Amino acid sequence: MKKEIPLLIGFFATIGWYLEFFMAGTFFENWKMFFTNGFKTVTIVGLLVGAFSVLRINFKRIKYNNDRWFSVYQLSLIGFMILLGVTRGVNPGTPFDAMFTFGFVPLDATVFSLLAFYVASASYRSFRIKSIESAFLLVAAIFIMLSKIPLGEAMWSKIPVIGEWIMDGPTSAGKRAILFGAYLGGLTMMIRIAFGLERSHISE
Amino acid sequence: MDKLVEKLKKIDKRWIYLLIFLSCILPFFPGFEFLNQEFSETKETIAFYDNINELKEGDAVFIDWAFDPTTQAELLPMAEQTLKQCFDKKLRVFIYFPFLTGISLGENALAKLQKEPGYEYIEEGVHYQNLGYLPLMTDMLLFSMYSDFKGTFGKEGKIFKGLNTFADIKYVMCFSGSSWPESYILLQRRFGFKMQVGVTAVIGPDYIPFLQTGQLQGMLFGLKGAAEYENIRVKAGSDKKFNRKANAGMASLTLSHLVMFMFIAIGNLIYLFEKKVKKI
Repeated sequence: MKKEIPLLIGFFATIGWYLEFFMAGTFFENWKMFFTNGFKTVTIVGLLVGAFSVLRINFKRIKYNNDRWFSVYQLSLIGFMILLGVTRGVNPGTPFDAMFTFGFVPLDATVFSLLAFYVASASYRSFRIKSIESAFLLVAAIFIMLSKIPLGEAMWSKIPVIGEWIMDGPTSAGKRAILFGAYLGGLTMMIRIAFGLERSHISE
Repeated sequence: MDKLVEKLKKIDKRWIYLLIFLSCILPFFPGFEFLNQEFSETKETIAFYDNINELKEGDAVFIDWAFDPTTQAELLPMAEQTLKQCFDKKLRVFIYFPFLTGISLGENALAKLQKEPGYEYIEEGVHYQNLGYLPLMTDMLLFSMYSDFKGTFGKEGKIFKGLNTFADIKYVMCFSGSSWPESYILLQRRFGFKMQVGVTAVIGPDYIPFLQTGQLQGMLFGLKGAAEYENIRVKAGSDKKFNRKANAGMASLTLSHLVMFMFIAIGNLIYLFEKKVKKI
């Protein structure tokens, strides 16, 4: 039963969702809503499991002196944010919001902006014309980059036109092919899960 | 020559990082105004502006604030301008946050907007409604239902008048740095709402096929798209002082791209030189 029940749930959920798309407003909607509520419950339990896991890992680290101070720091911040949120609220202008605006926002943006540095370094070392294909790629990339900055248009008024053609033509064609493949793959996977042919989600 | 090539080949990464850092920072200082070149607006940006402009007073629009501080440099100016244009047109604005880390960003943007001249009157529950947060994918499952729009969020008020399902929303506008807006494109077939997106330059090409099929009616593409949108709004009469956040970053965008071109060129020259030497 350990395997049969999850497979049956998979079958009913998949079929219900699929048919509801074509037969909206019928009893399939209630069927879908039933599984949606289950999905919500699982998501919320998942969040709780995640929070518990963070606490457990950090308490273990503190106990066994494995990067102890990082864990103390992380747990203190989590506790501090919860305390601020619970006692003073989370609306704009509260201490919680100040921690978000002056702490989280710059840190989060900084981590993402590091990409610019890595891309620059990679472009210097790896973006080489080693073949005809890579030459095409480089030329296309330069036109696209120039079309996305004001200087490109100032240099030659046709640069944005060429950039747009590359995007609307070759790029779009490639993207459509990928999308078709991905959605057909998704449909195949749905059928396989519904009929129990795909069992990786039950660890088999 | 060999020595120079060898030196360039083994250049410390930190020099590259320093140059990129300077190219991003320096344009914000005086003396780099020459980088501020004029540029025209693309048809997608013009369509984005026109689509909102054609809506009637009281029409409901749904703004999906699907970004957090990581992509705020490109997406925040777009979202702010969209909010302003919607409020100028007196539309009913519903803002939804699918990412936890984006909620405060959106609430702060609205709080800041309420302090800006001309927008002090904006009030939650009257002019806009914060629909809060739902866990990812659960939201799409709920939005896809023919269930009561109010019931979904448990909110009451005049702003919800005449709104029962997603089909009553005139326009959906999604701001994202990922494939997230595709979720709404899937719902579009069912409810028939019109849709446009504001996306980062990296993810922009992914949405061009949807623009070509007409599933998307407008698109703001990266920081340049945001700057174009600001320019259109300024030309239409908005105060330049409060509407040039994206334009302020254009010089930095230009110089950092030029530095990137320089790196690509030097890297290729080294490669070609080495290839030539090896042949000899």
